[in-house]
Amino acid sequence: MRILVGLINGMIAGATPILLAALGGAFTYYAGIFNIAMEGMMLAGAFGAVVGSYFLHSWVLGIVLSIAFALVLALIFILFSVVLHTDEFVTGIALNLFAVGATTYLMRQTFDVKGVFANAGIVPIPRLHIPLIEKIPFLGEVLSGQNLMVYIAVIAVIAVNFLIFRTRFGMRLRAAGYNAACLDSSGVSTARMRTAALLLCAVLCGLAGAFLSLGYVTLFAENMSAGRGWISLAAIILVSGNPTGIAVISLLFGFSDGLGLLLQDYRVPSQFTSMVPYVATLIALYFYSVKERKRKA
Amino acid sequence: MRNKWVSGLLGVLVALLIGAFIMLLQGFNPLDVYAALFQFSLGGLSPLATTAKNAVPLVLTGLSASIAFASGPVNLGQPGQFLMGALFATVGGLYIHLPPVLEVTVLVLLAMLGGALWAGLAALLRMLFNMSEFIVTLMLNMVADFFTAWAIAGPFMDKTAFSPMTPQIDQAGWLPSIGNFNTTILFMLAAVGISWFVFNRWKAGYEWRLSGQNSLFARLGGCNIDRNFVAVMLFTGALAGLAGGLLVMAGPHRFLKGLGANYAWDGVMIAIVANNGLVATLLYGFFFSAIQTGALGMELITAVPSEISQVLQAVLVLVIVASREALAVILDRREARRRAKERAV
Amino acid sequence: MDDVIRLENIVKVYPPSVVAVDNVSVSFRKGEIHAVVGENGAGKSTLMKVLYGLVPRDGGEIYYQGRPVHFRQAGEAIAAGIGMVHQEILLIPEYTVWQNIVLGQEPTRFADQVDTGKARRLVRQKIDEFQFNLDPDALVGEISVAARQKVEILKLLYRNVSVLILDEPTAVLTPQEIPQLFAELGRLRDDGHTILFISHRLDEVLTLSDRVTVMRRGKKIDTVDAKTTSKEELARMMVGRDVVLTSQRREHAPGEVVFEVEHLSYKDGEGRQKLNDINLSVRAGEIVGVAGVEGNGQFELVNAVVGLIQPSTGSIRVQGKDITRAPILERRKLISFVPQDRGKMGASLNASILENAIMTHHSLNPKFSRWRGLLLDYAHARRFTDGLEKQFAVSMASKFNPFRSLSGGNQQKVILGRELLLDSVFVLLDQPTRGLDVGSIEYVHQQVLRMRDENRGVLLVSADLEELFLLADRIVVMHRGELVADKPVEQTSLEEVGYLMLEGRGAAQ
Repeated sequence: MRILVGLINGMIAGATPILLAALGGAFTYYAGIFNIAMEGMMLAGAFGAVVGSYFLHSWVLGIVLSIAFALVLALIFILFSVVLHTDEFVTGIALNLFAVGATTYLMRQTFDVKGVFANAGIVPIPRLHIPLIEKIPFLGEVLSGQNLMVYIAVIAVIAVNFLIFRTRFGMRLRAAGYNAACLDSSGVSTARMRTAALLLCAVLCGLAGAFLSLGYVTLFAENMSAGRGWISLAAIILVSGNPTGIAVISLLFGFSDGLGLLLQDYRVPSQFTSMVPYVATLIALYFYSVKERKRKA
Repeated sequence: MRNKWVSGLLGVLVALLIGAFIMLLQGFNPLDVYAALFQFSLGGLSPLATTAKNAVPLVLTGLSASIAFASGPVNLGQPGQFLMGALFATVGGLYIHLPPVLEVTVLVLLAMLGGALWAGLAALLRMLFNMSEFIVTLMLNMVADFFTAWAIAGPFMDKTAFSPMTPQIDQAGWLPSIGNFNTTILFMLAAVGISWFVFNRWKAGYEWRLSGQNSLFARLGGCNIDRNFVAVMLFTGALAGLAGGLLVMAGPHRFLKGLGANYAWDGVMIAIVANNGLVATLLYGFFFSAIQTGALGMELITAVPSEISQVLQAVLVLVIVASREALAVILDRREARRRAKERAV
Repeated sequence: MDDVIRLENIVKVYPPSVVAVDNVSVSFRKGEIHAVVGENGAGKSTLMKVLYGLVPRDGGEIYYQGRPVHFRQAGEAIAAGIGMVHQEILLIPEYTVWQNIVLGQEPTRFADQVDTGKARRLVRQKIDEFQFNLDPDALVGEISVAARQKVEILKLLYRNVSVLILDEPTAVLTPQEIPQLFAELGRLRDDGHTILFISHRLDEVLTLSDRVTVMRRGKKIDTVDAKTTSKEELARMMVGRDVVLTSQRREHAPGEVVFEVEHLSYKDGEGRQKLNDINLSVRAGEIVGVAGVEGNGQFELVNAVVGLIQPSTGSIRVQGKDITRAPILERRKLISFVPQDRGKMGASLNASILENAIMTHHSLNPKFSRWRGLLLDYAHARRFTDGLEKQFAVSMASKFNPFRSLSGGNQQKVILGRELLLDSVFVLLDQPTRGLDVGSIEYVHQQVLRMRDENRGVLLVSADLEELFLLADRIVVMHRGELVADKPVEQTSLEEVGYLMLEGRGAAQ
């Protein structure tokens, strides 16, 4: 029982950053943008969160700053990709490189450390304990006591679903992805929809980053997004952007993350357990590809 | 053709200006910084040799990415292929003992084999299950990272060392220097030459290029797209693997944690800036190496952290690529306006 | 009758040097149907796009309802009351009819939600008002092409436009669907709307319009009254010389069978039967034309012959050899193929002209190889391209320039030349004159007839019925994946084939 609870909590913790980033990526996916900068936005958000939390002594301001830093990246993306029509793939890769370089450089400049910045002065995002629910024997340990960001992520799934499928904004956003020329000739600027999508993506990736550096652990490490942006990209592709699908897939990836940690107890070397999420992505891609091939044949 | 060089130069200049602006914001004197960068990368025979040596992994991984992108396969697995190539060469160097010329040859071949196998794995998954090589190569990067980390902390670890690393490889496998210049540079130039020849003069190269530009057309023309895909993945994997092997053989002579940390992603970046042109990859590879090498030296005397070179690189990439497209649009519009004036009543 | 739109001295240059509209002045009246005609590349589409604001003009003035206007975005023209329906239908197949119609002007509820009920109601109202037979909840991707066109028109009427611009509206319709469209347009005209339509089909232009403006090479030639002019006069103004509108086919006895398809069937990944028991043959020295509304299996037939898709049953034989499961390269030894989309299938636009010209030849012709087949003999490639240039009268600056620098007509010449130089006995042509100007079309027709004289067998797939009747010896009709007719051209007529294309069986006798 202990193990199961631990596994589920590990799964939720592992899923959250991927879920948030993938929800952000869903906006750009539907808008027809080839966005591979989620990795960089997440990293920028993680760094911003630590800066805000440490210097302003508040996790709330840490979150605010994480969104701000991610937005900076999004603005650069918008400038180059939407305004200057630079290739989106190139812009994304350059931004990821920029994020790594800039955060590493700034960490050194600001905190005077290399590699990792961990300090008792960083205020982490607290856990939320729901009064009555936490008393429930088994469910209570899972439903209550999670990091605040987890609950935000759940709300985000519902909010993003609503926004994309029920609102006028969402209808136009998807139209931008289905047929940009049609949307433009209908009198709505595709460029504006894509800009909005990128900004929303940055907000969610910023939150994902904040969870990484203020929730999952309480520190900033060089390149700490560790490929999660790529996994969230895979998640989006596998479910064709659908927010509910993203939630399910993120749980699966989070589970593989937790499984990795569990395996460590069984003497499997830590390097192999760290591989588990990435191998899991490959397996998921296998099933997806086989399904697509059957459909196209 | 003139446009290519003009826009490249223009982009570099604008990027350097932006970089200078960023430095000013940080309180540094850009002129000092750029002077130091130049001094420590190109200002003398020894810095030049170091820059050239450091350019090798950049150029080779850049070549790998350029050829792959220009031919169709989205091979983003250079980081992983690099590591596997380095591992294969290291293990070979630990257990195979031959006279120097043979040893070097064997290790180089092993390095290429390691990279090719790792890329081949992605190609296999694509051929068998239609799994996108874009995602597979990315995931395999992480797997290779962890796998090599385990290898050097486990079965191949140097027991006398304090941190995970292998023992040094057989001295016969160490790449010698001629004066200041390391022979690894020769391998780089040979690889560039051979790659250019295959890409531009071989029938296979012709099919690769045309497949990359329009795969449907190439297919209808009778090109075997599948066979070409696998060939390109193996070829480019081998190039990235070679980069890893050469780094071990010319550098620390062993596989350490963090070997070649950013080189492979920088290679992808160089391919993008070079617009997949092979000669341009060589030139830009050298240029970016100059920035990185210069930055390390610069840090010693100006207290500017070397990481600023990464920021500068990213700015360069964005600006050069953006200016390339912007210049084309500007020139076209000017021409159109001229013609319109001729016609107006 | 007053002028609702007046264009004065319009100039438009496409970078870097193509003068698409050359100092054109023309006016359109309220309550009329006005056709703008010209061959491909005459500038009629561009002129309308300039009026509409899709394309910025380089000179001239536009007056709408007496006031000067300058539309910079599509939205502005619509807001003013001018709407345009493009040739490539610009709709979202994944959305329903009502969603497509209200996109951009959606009725909303609180929290920015789309008011689905109200939207459907409004759309229904418009459908009934103009008697357009449409289902608001149908997915646009699943309705017929003619219906999609109606959705486009309705989208504009929903926004209360009074001027409608239609770009080649009949290009995607069968002969039977055209009268319905004309009736609807007539009703709109009688209601006071102004209809401008672009076309190159002179019969239709004369039937439908009140006045006709002719353009040639970017200039306006004249505006005439439809009642007082004739097809010949319009054609002469369009082309600048007397155009021969009759066939030049010589008498010819076909030889043995060079191409044969038996019981060919194909079901796609989603279970749709795209080809159903096709039986077809082509003889040496014969041109067989394949007619049909786009989407009835022609594309699948072509792809199956060429090797892009595998049929579920049946066989394909060229010169007696069974190629049903053969790899594409094997088929290319026997088949010359000109695909319907130059840019997507027939060439690589960014590669040089030379690199495009040698495709397929580079593997089939040993003269292109050196050193055990590994190296490409570029000297021979250069000689080959020079030869092609001369033989097919291609106008190019340098064979090392990118393929995209050639005009459409010259691109097609290179492709045609490349394919014909393969010396195959069987030639497969898919829409070979699509998007070409009249001069190039004539050239291609000559080449097709020459293939016939050289005793090759030609399978010609074309959406242009006039072209088929001009060139083919026999005509087959495809309908919903089946071959519903196979007749010598003398024994049938344009009307009969048009009917077969739509209905799939002969008209009641």
